[in-house]
Amino acid sequence: MRRVLLGAAVAIAIGFSIYWLLTEPFILSGGRVALAARTPDLANGKVVFNAGGCASCHAVPGQPDRLKLGGGLAIHSPFGTFYAPNISPDETDGIGRWSEANFVTAVTSGVSPDGQHYFPAFPYTSYAHARIDDVRDLFAYLTTLPKVAGKVRDHDVPFPFNIRRNVGIWKLMFFNARPFTPDSAHSVQWNRGAYLVNSFGHCPECHSPRNFLGGIIAAQRFAGGPNPDGEGWVPNITQKGLSDWNATDIDYFLKTGQTPDGDSAGGSMVAVIKNTSQLPDTDTAAIADYVKSLAPVEGPPKPAKKAAK
Amino acid sequence: MIRAALVVGALLLGATAVTAQQDLVKQNQDTMKANAKNLGAMVAMVKGEKPYDQATVTAGLAQLEETAKKLPTMFPDSIKGMNPPDSKYEVSPKIWEDKAEFRAKIEDFAKVVSAAKAKITDLDTLKANAPAIGKACGNCHETFRIKKS
Repeated sequence: MRRVLLGAAVAIAIGFSIYWLLTEPFILSGGRVALAARTPDLANGKVVFNAGGCASCHAVPGQPDRLKLGGGLAIHSPFGTFYAPNISPDETDGIGRWSEANFVTAVTSGVSPDGQHYFPAFPYTSYAHARIDDVRDLFAYLTTLPKVAGKVRDHDVPFPFNIRRNVGIWKLMFFNARPFTPDSAHSVQWNRGAYLVNSFGHCPECHSPRNFLGGIIAAQRFAGGPNPDGEGWVPNITQKGLSDWNATDIDYFLKTGQTPDGDSAGGSMVAVIKNTSQLPDTDTAAIADYVKSLAPVEGPPKPAKKAAK
Repeated sequence: MIRAALVVGALLLGATAVTAQQDLVKQNQDTMKANAKNLGAMVAMVKGEKPYDQATVTAGLAQLEETAKKLPTMFPDSIKGMNPPDSKYEVSPKIWEDKAEFRAKIEDFAKVVSAAKAKITDLDTLKANAPAIGKACGNCHETFRIKKS
């Protein structure tokens, strides 16, 4: 009997140690980052800021200034409600005391300065593919923005999703931190588009269906699906859904929110357009070139139409 | 007998009301489609796919202005939550939950359309002013329209 108990205790201890190791934030992210000195390019930082759509979640809701990054927006999900944190350079409530390495680790590995996993509502799953220099330029740009006081409330996420260590397991299953590698079979423009879409643009985060654990279903990347943040449907942006749009149409849509048939963007895409409309023309053209090249993929089945009441 | 007549009458009245509501929903859908068609014609000119045509622009802006006037009464409580059977979109309940904000978006759209109407006389002024109209559409659709497919 004693031996059985001892065996069980050892098994539990081993199991817990494995869990602890597998979910250790810094081991997972390849340790702490060391950065060589470099002069940041603020103009590029601004482009990255707009490509990344930082303002869509982190700007204070209910006011028009996209550069007041005090956070507070509620982001609903099947796992609970997340509240976008304050990423203004405020020393107390924002990221004013962060080092550049803290920021690079947060954005590309989803690990906070105090060594905790971020929930993947923060799309580091895409940002991880970004070039480190772009992330550094973004950090430099963010520090030029106004300080906004006020700590954002805690996320409202029920058990077991509120255990941040569990995000480590999720990362092992769904997080691929490989940096973007250009495809020499395609043009420089196409590669720029592929880079923006898959890293900072984080388009697949909404335009792809997810499994029950919230991981993107790789085979249906870009094929649309249920809106992760509430009601409605996110469109398929592969050629299955956009075959009647040419690259100019996509480019114009990113600049104005206007579809080729005169319709407008709605829902969360309106906020996205506020970002993409600020991008240089060469970047919206590059995104359009890449999106137009996405092979047709059938998305998940749409819910049956409700009959008119 | 009188009671039966009353019941039939009430049912008929009820049925008429439902039909009237469905007609209103259908009219709203037609209005929105007409807006897109007219704005789409202007966008085609901005993109250089079609030559600038003042008659099309004038007619399109007139229809959009008409919409701006209709919008404050297009979504009465009697059609709350009702949708056309064959639409990519549905109304958001927020139309009836946040009437002040909905009203503000409509007023903004009306202002943008009037400004565009006063300014657009050629391709350059179209290019300068048409995007603001689409933006006003989007600012309302952001909150008050739900995409279903």
